Amino acid sequence: MKDYADRNRALLNFIVLPTLLLSAGLLGGLRIDGQTRQFIFIAPPLVTLLLAILLMSLFLRVGAIELRHWLTIEQPMMTNVSHLLTLIALFFASAQAFNSVLPENGLLHWMFSVFFLWTLWTNQFSIFDPRRLLRSLLVIFGTAFVLKHLVVAGLYAPEGGWLRGLTSTLLQGIAIDVPAFAPATGYISFFALALYVGGLLLITPIPVRPRASTVNKLTVREDALSQSSESESA
Amino acid sequence: MQQRLIQITGITWTLIYAGIILWIYATEPRSFSEVKTNTRVAAGIYEVNQEKFNNGLELFHHDQFRAARDVWASADPGQQDPHTQFYVGYAFYREGWGRVYNDDALFKQGLEAVNRAISLAPNGILTVDDPNLQMHSAAELKTELDQGIERSWKDLNPLKLFRERK
Repeated sequence: MKDYADRNRALLNFIVLPTLLLSAGLLGGLRIDGQTRQFIFIAPPLVTLLLAILLMSLFLRVGAIELRHWLTIEQPMMTNVSHLLTLIALFFASAQAFNSVLPENGLLHWMFSVFFLWTLWTNQFSIFDPRRLLRSLLVIFGTAFVLKHLVVAGLYAPEGGWLRGLTSTLLQGIAIDVPAFAPATGYISFFALALYVGGLLLITPIPVRPRASTVNKLTVREDALSQSSESESA
Repeated sequence: MQQRLIQITGITWTLIYAGIILWIYATEPRSFSEVKTNTRVAAGIYEVNQEKFNNGLELFHHDQFRAARDVWASADPGQQDPHTQFYVGYAFYREGWGRVYNDDALFKQGLEAVNRAISLAPNGILTVDDPNLQMHSAAELKTELDQGIERSWKDLNPLKLFRERK
């Protein structure tokens, strides 16, 4: 039973978790063109890398990731390499999660970027625990997702109704450049965020180390017994 | 032992998957069929569809240049065959050529195609043995297209009206 648990835990940490994060990274920059229905891959802009750095620093500060337990000289090299790859995947998944909910260009891009930067910057000085941080991230990404893929996309949809007319009248003279993407883009973004949050849920502050196997335990016990019997005979 | 095996599998899989993602973002495929074509190119098993190429050639010889280009586009979707790209460039040249003036937009597209052909050809040298063509090398075609786009006093020469399309 314990062997199964160890194996499943290893599968989860070393295969499922990086796969989830990398998939979030893949889908985070994918858009579908509104007219041609062709794929558009948008590499993470510089600002999303900055946001990802702030978020990683927040993870470390609140103890969502205990770096000295993730990368330590006391564990095998393979484990360190695996953990390092997971952390790199987390960094790029974070950047792509931001990329997914940031408008691509124009005034809205900068408004959203400033909103994210301000929130993450002020969070650096707040009292947080990993659970609260996760809730806060859910709210941030959820809000940005709704604003970008429901509100803004709805307002600037080619078949937009009176709301679109009203907005364009109110914002007359202000250049808000919103590229037309197919509705599938919203679904892709949703899945990217779901995978990212799923990955965050799987991350433990201290990686669970495998228990010594039964055979190893018996060997250790046997050695200890033989040492004690030797000392008694001496 | 099992733990170690899972770790090695995880590291290998993570690196391969990350490589695939980087490759996708670098090549920016526009559809699943382009992903397939790019994969074939990367694996070195990409080949131009010879039947479609010949169909395009037939259209080209009948001066149906746009149709020929469309057929060649489906014969060489990855734009990886130097011969096909040479012919695409030639089709742009012949369609864009004019006795009084050339169509710059078509000539520019032709130049892009011929540059692709040159970059794909081994050592950058490409020669096509087709008796129906008057220019047999990619370098000749490139020069012709370059000169067609350039603006100079020679454009005002009335003798230009007597030149022939190659």
